[in-house]
Amino acid sequence: MAKILIAEDELDIRNLITFTLRFAGHEIVATSNGAEALEKAIEMADQKDCPDLILMDVRMPRMTGYEACKRMKEDTRLVNIPIAFLSAKGQESEIQEGFAVGAVDYIIKPFATDQLTRKVQELIEQAGA
Amino acid sequence: MSAIILQEEIVHYEVLGRGRPIIFLHGWVGSWRYWIPSMQAASMSYRTYALDMWGFGDTAKNTSRYLLSQQLRLLKSFIDEMGIGRVAIVGHGLGAIVALMFAQENPTYVDRVIAVGVPLKMDQINPRMLQSTPQELADWLLGSTPDSEAARKEAPKADQNAIYHSLQHLASAGIAELPQQLSLPCLFVHGQNDPAIAMTDTAILATFPTSFHFIALENTGHFPMLDMPSKFNRLMTDFMALPSGESPRNLELKDEWKRRIR
Repeated sequence: MAKILIAEDELDIRNLITFTLRFAGHEIVATSNGAEALEKAIEMADQKDCPDLILMDVRMPRMTGYEACKRMKEDTRLVNIPIAFLSAKGQESEIQEGFAVGAVDYIIKPFATDQLTRKVQELIEQAGA
Repeated sequence: MSAIILQEEIVHYEVLGRGRPIIFLHGWVGSWRYWIPSMQAASMSYRTYALDMWGFGDTAKNTSRYLLSQQLRLLKSFIDEMGIGRVAIVGHGLGAIVALMFAQENPTYVDRVIAVGVPLKMDQINPRMLQSTPQELADWLLGSTPDSEAARKEAPKADQNAIYHSLQHLASAGIAELPQQLSLPCLFVHGQNDPAIAMTDTAILATFPTSFHFIALENTGHFPMLDMPSKFNRLMTDFMALPSGESPRNLELKDEWKRRIR
């Protein structure tokens, strides 16, 4: 079981991702934008309870996923946490930008729930969580 | 885990999505958990609930509550306490019988029913259902997909008495007459290779009212929602999308379909 921090602004999608990963055996902390995710990640790190993986949508209000990722990678408490983006199909050009700010992978939306579960498992295994 | 106290005992349920309500009721083997793929598929348009009935999963185990009448009471209490309006019910095996009986007793509560793997006569039930432990039933009936494995792990939580008593009660429950007593849209789905519950005889199916429709799913067993989730979920969402009161007679199996997160 891994601890996964999620940032997704659309409630229905956030709930579905949370539900899917929770019943795949993971502990989920859900936030609705990049700023909240950054705050939550810092709070968890300060409590020595870092997430094993962060999944973030790219386009979110208050702070984009890119900006949140960039700030996390500048923070010594968070720099080693693997981050993967969730990005809409047709916006593949954003992938390179995501890697440039420190993401380890991309999950292209729309995706099926079983694909999400498999991908997350792969990322966790890669990270050695 | 979400739980509610009903009739002074704990009842476990899960909920996902927004929209018109659908309640999923599990069968004799397993718990709410094998409805996860169906809940995921429906959750973008519907508020989906799945609960563990008395004696199953993480709901209270109390032998005095294992008769079908008690499971019906549980469902009514759940709907009332949760403030759920007119609901669609998807039931499997025991859950399908509970759904049909509940719809007959409470017609204003239920908009439509999907009954999966439902026996209308006792001779449709393989005697192993009465003799085996929950784990033996799970090993016999569940496949090897990841979702089946999750269901298999839940199976031992069931109290064997809950399975036994509900099956015993079926003989006197008069379920064979239920289709004639119901006027709501009802879709019967059966796994063509179901070794636990034999398919209802075609002569009996021919007597069903026009509000009923029967579909056999090829290459599936007792758990068609796990053996062919895409096909099952497509059928389910097509049925749920029908206008209220419309017969499902024109429903047919379509190409496989998978709910994707946008």
